[in-house]
Amino acid sequence: MKRFGEMLAERTFLLSALASSSITLAILAFMVFMGLPLMKEGGFFQLLLKPWAPFQGSFGIYPMIVGTGAISFLSLVFAFPLSLGCSFLIGAIGPRPVRRGFRRLIELMTGIPTVIYGFVGIFLLVPIIRELFQQGSGLCILTAALVLGLMITPTMTLFFCDSFDRIPRSFLDAADALGASPVQKLLYVILPSAKKGMLNGVILALGRAVGDTLIALMIAGNAIRVPESVLDPARTLTAHIALVIAADYDSPEFRSIFTCGIVLYLFTMAVTFLVRYLGQAEGRRE
Amino acid sequence: MKFRTLEGLTVLFSWAAGLLLLSAVSLLLGYLLIKGYQSVNLSLIFGDASPLRAVLLKERVFDGLFPAIAGTLVLVILSIVWAIPVGVAAGIYLAEYAGSRVKKVLDVFFDVLSGIPSIVVGLFGFSFAVFLHKHYSDRIGPCLLISSIALSILVLPYIIRTTQASLEGIPLDLRLTALALGATRFQNIFLVLIPRSLSGIMSGIILAIGRCAEDTAVIMLTGAVASAGLPHSLFSQYEALPFFIYYISSQYANPDELMQGYGASIILLLLCAGLFSLAYGIRKGLNYWAFYRP
Amino acid sequence: MKRFTLVQLLSVISLLLALCSPAFSDSLDPFKGEKGVLKISGGTAHIPVMKDVAQQIMARNPEIQITIAGGGSGVGIKQVGEGLVNIGNSGRKPTDEEISRYQLLLFQWAIDGVAPVVNPKNRVKGLTKSQMIDIFAGKIGNWKELGGEYRAINVYTRDEASGTREVFWKKGLDKGQITPGAHVVVSNGAMKTAIGQDPYGIGYVSVGHIDKTVASVALDGVVPTNATVQDGSFKIARGLYSNTKGDPAGLTLKFLDFLFTADGKKIIEEHGFIPAK
Repeated sequence: MKRFGEMLAERTFLLSALASSSITLAILAFMVFMGLPLMKEGGFFQLLLKPWAPFQGSFGIYPMIVGTGAISFLSLVFAFPLSLGCSFLIGAIGPRPVRRGFRRLIELMTGIPTVIYGFVGIFLLVPIIRELFQQGSGLCILTAALVLGLMITPTMTLFFCDSFDRIPRSFLDAADALGASPVQKLLYVILPSAKKGMLNGVILALGRAVGDTLIALMIAGNAIRVPESVLDPARTLTAHIALVIAADYDSPEFRSIFTCGIVLYLFTMAVTFLVRYLGQAEGRRE
Repeated sequence: MKFRTLEGLTVLFSWAAGLLLLSAVSLLLGYLLIKGYQSVNLSLIFGDASPLRAVLLKERVFDGLFPAIAGTLVLVILSIVWAIPVGVAAGIYLAEYAGSRVKKVLDVFFDVLSGIPSIVVGLFGFSFAVFLHKHYSDRIGPCLLISSIALSILVLPYIIRTTQASLEGIPLDLRLTALALGATRFQNIFLVLIPRSLSGIMSGIILAIGRCAEDTAVIMLTGAVASAGLPHSLFSQYEALPFFIYYISSQYANPDELMQGYGASIILLLLCAGLFSLAYGIRKGLNYWAFYRP
Repeated sequence: MKRFTLVQLLSVISLLLALCSPAFSDSLDPFKGEKGVLKISGGTAHIPVMKDVAQQIMARNPEIQITIAGGGSGVGIKQVGEGLVNIGNSGRKPTDEEISRYQLLLFQWAIDGVAPVVNPKNRVKGLTKSQMIDIFAGKIGNWKELGGEYRAINVYTRDEASGTREVFWKKGLDKGQITPGAHVVVSNGAMKTAIGQDPYGIGYVSVGHIDKTVASVALDGVVPTNATVQDGSFKIARGLYSNTKGDPAGLTLKFLDFLFTADGKKIIEEHGFIPAK
């Protein structure tokens, strides 16, 4: 009887684990299934390169790919130095109370809802950008990248801090024993050892930036043309899904959002595998 | 000499970054509070109805946030109800039962699941709803049920990971003690390991609650609408706080509605900050309770 | 002295009472005792009227629940056709193909115009039709060319499901191209907000929605108002339709009937539309 109970328990747990992991596959399967008619007609890779002009029968998502790429990479450009500096402060340079307090603050910041970043961005930042550059409407790649960068900074900072924490104590003690100041310890001991972990953090933050919907939807302008400058409005893959979801179910336009979904999904998989590969490489080296 | 400059610059750079981040966040929160503090009062939430009667469901609230807050509450509770059993069970499996090969494979799946953008999860929920609508019942469409299932999929990785991590963090001698005394594996898990890792699991659950409360992309596609009153059935559409903020920000009809948006943002912020602190407090408190149980 | 009989007195009193009773009690009577859910979605121009009517009904009848979503005319037609909602609003007449595919019944309860709008701070107050076509096509790129400041023109347009867009494109732009560099917003309310915040923007919005936050632009000398839409001098006009799949019944029918009563028409007028006769 006890044995049966044991087996039952184990089977239940196994079932839950299998169910959860199969959801991952189910999501991909659904998107392929729903997007298939369009992809058969247009060819998946062709769709990635064609412009979006539904009235001329062109359902490509190329402008959205450019939009996502531009906004995400630009946001990384803003977030990386910021996160780096803050992680230095928390990890090594700041005095003890500052380190703890600041880290607590940053952990709290990760809880701020995205929609609030977007909300404040629209009313505070957009007019500033518009007047500062005297060009465009303020609803553009630059503004979206700024807000997005701010949003991913806490996450990236915490990743960096975690990779600092993972350095063997002996390294740090050795540096102290040799009389290194905190800055020197940071620059010559911590950073070189934590490089892989930090790269991880950057990649995961990039994943988060690519996957964000609201900031791009509310701030980036949602134009359908391939943007030509950072002050141009643009549309991301995620915002495209949110905008077109309302259209006719059977139309090719609607099915294009599944193409976007598949691209996003594949990107997520690429990020996951990249991070795992780097992690294994680091493990193997040690 | 060159080294000294680099070091000096690094210190400068770090402090500058810290100050920049601090001022950006203060600007964000300050702007919100300054613009919105005036509108945070009972009439923001209850409109023209009397608060007591509205909470007792005797009076309908129009023009207030009460339906949206109620919608978010119900949504979060439902999502957690779906996510906790599956998530904790899967986490237990990963930590206690899985062999290393199985673990590696499942790890990949859960990593991918945790990285999937929320809008893609919402898209899945929407297509699932359409699928059900066409093939099963005409009455099912994007609704509270579908939203809660989609949200639970979104937060599943959080719960699985924290459960797994807290279970795996238990030192070896503690794991083996009960087994050495004759307990079965299941008894060990249920009576020793889980209570020991309860604080970790609970904080994971609370973080998942916070994630459900703030998410907009998923509910936007699966049933949140601009105007629906209190959620009255699993198959009905509903209002939610973050969706309200998004909606108001792009289409407020007059300054009053915009003020409502600010007020709603403050309420949502307080909610998420509160949940976050709760998670932290629980982690500390449960540890104390688990160790020093009389 | 003639004395009034009791009957005469009573009839006078009841007549007086009938004149004093609130007007709504007549129109909302059909809803007494009704219960159930009514789902509405579609055109964003209709939303203010829908919300008001729903509020009136729900305030008197707690057993009734009415949910209202937006999405645009395309969404409304599609969702009512698929049976996801009871009433699908559209700001354009459904095409014959849509009508036959979904067996739609149309109920037009208002006439509305679609007007080009700019920010109230903009100096430009009037345009010719060809200027407007060129602006939206991207050919005229700077306000200076129209007598305004030296700033680029930010064009705003609606998403593809929008009936407002369809009508503006057909009747206002003569099916001309809308520049792909235009900002896309998702509803009439969103268009108003965007233009209200951008001093150099231009877009188009339902005439009923125009208020102090945006300034309408006279087209070929005709200022878009309810009057000019009604007498036909402002040509970009469309009906506001509520569509159902097949014959409406029960709550749906009563809701639609309400829109044609005197009280319903009052609400429609209050929101800036011209009620249908």
